[in-house]
Amino acid sequence: MRCHCISPHSNCRSVFTCSACTSLCVVCFKFCRPNQLFQMSDKGGKAGSLLSSKGSLKGKDDSAAKAKARKVQFSTEGLESIMSNGAKSGGKVDKVANGGKSSAAKDPHQNEHRVDQELPENFKCLMDCEAAVMLQGIQDHMVMLSRDPAIKIPASFDKGLHYAKSSSKHSNPESVRNILEPLKNHGLTESEICVIANVYPETADVVFALLPSLKGKRGINSQPIEDSMNELAKLKQPM
Amino acid sequence: MFFHIVLERNMQLHPRYFGRNLRDNLVSKLMKDVEGTCSGRHGFVVAVTGIENIGKGLIRDGTGFVTFPVKYQCVVFRPFKGEILEAVVTMVNKMGFFAEAGPVQIFVSNHLIPDDMEFQSGDMPNYTTSDGSVKIQKDSEVRLKIIGTRVDATEIFCIGTIKDDFLGVINDPTTV
Repeated sequence: MRCHCISPHSNCRSVFTCSACTSLCVVCFKFCRPNQLFQMSDKGGKAGSLLSSKGSLKGKDDSAAKAKARKVQFSTEGLESIMSNGAKSGGKVDKVANGGKSSAAKDPHQNEHRVDQELPENFKCLMDCEAAVMLQGIQDHMVMLSRDPAIKIPASFDKGLHYAKSSSKHSNPESVRNILEPLKNHGLTESEICVIANVYPETADVVFALLPSLKGKRGINSQPIEDSMNELAKLKQPM
Repeated sequence: MFFHIVLERNMQLHPRYFGRNLRDNLVSKLMKDVEGTCSGRHGFVVAVTGIENIGKGLIRDGTGFVTFPVKYQCVVFRPFKGEILEAVVTMVNKMGFFAEAGPVQIFVSNHLIPDDMEFQSGDMPNYTTSDGSVKIQKDSEVRLKIIGTRVDATEIFCIGTIKDDFLGVINDPTTV
């Protein structure tokens, strides 16, 4: 059942639907205001479909966002992610079609990869190797539980375990955690550390290319990242 | 990315499950109800790892059902915009390719594939560079960046790109 409640987020200049079950803006990960109700009209194709629907989005900031019709556009032509908040920011649109260079915000990398800021405190990021160990332990228990025909192991568990195992590049999660944990003192967030562990880049240059949010801090923590990459290289599990 | 979080849920239990196995029945029901589900806030609940607390049950008026507030720990998988992850290609067509990372489906449009890669149709459709050195086909492993997510009632769907630096194929199944 689809929800037709739309709420704008002035800090990310985007408009997303919210509902009883999905009330989280997927850009800035803040919750939509529950009392703001807007009509969302669809033109041509399924509403909200990322592949086929076309419409026009006119986003406005929170102060003007009362009982106005909004249309969300997801276009395959250039896949322009429409996050316009023309009234406030001068109408800049975040375009991701050509080389991924965002120009919507003053600091386009500021809002990227800042999931830590919006997640509740009890959200603990897990590296893939840590998740693999955890899920493998659960699977061992499930072997006993699976004898009960009433208990079915969900497909997402199998997929999650398989993904965690296949993407895990380190056999010893604790060692990896010990190597990367000091990077927090140099300004990296928990999620950035987890991405580094999961992706396992070869050099610090790759880290900065993949995590643009670090670019503002480049002069400060490039050496510690290089050192950490060298330490990780020693731990790399044999293929 | 995987997260380990604490969630709370009100579980309703039928009186038939009362007795000395009430807690086990409650935990079993929790796992059946929660594991495999997906929400926009938490992503996919992959597995319940433990029970933190089970509160006192409240009998619902008019029925014999009892509601227990249960706090539990679980592993969830939730993609977010800007995340770099590695996925396995599941389908290739002229519009782009689909890839899977755990329980999440990701679509990479041909507009977000480097311009020097062309679609080649055939028994095994693929995207190939002009010199044939790099090929994206079914079962290829690619490193991509999530640029958007959409949540349905039961699944999360993402849009990704491989057009940035250090993104693209990391493992071609034909060379393994």
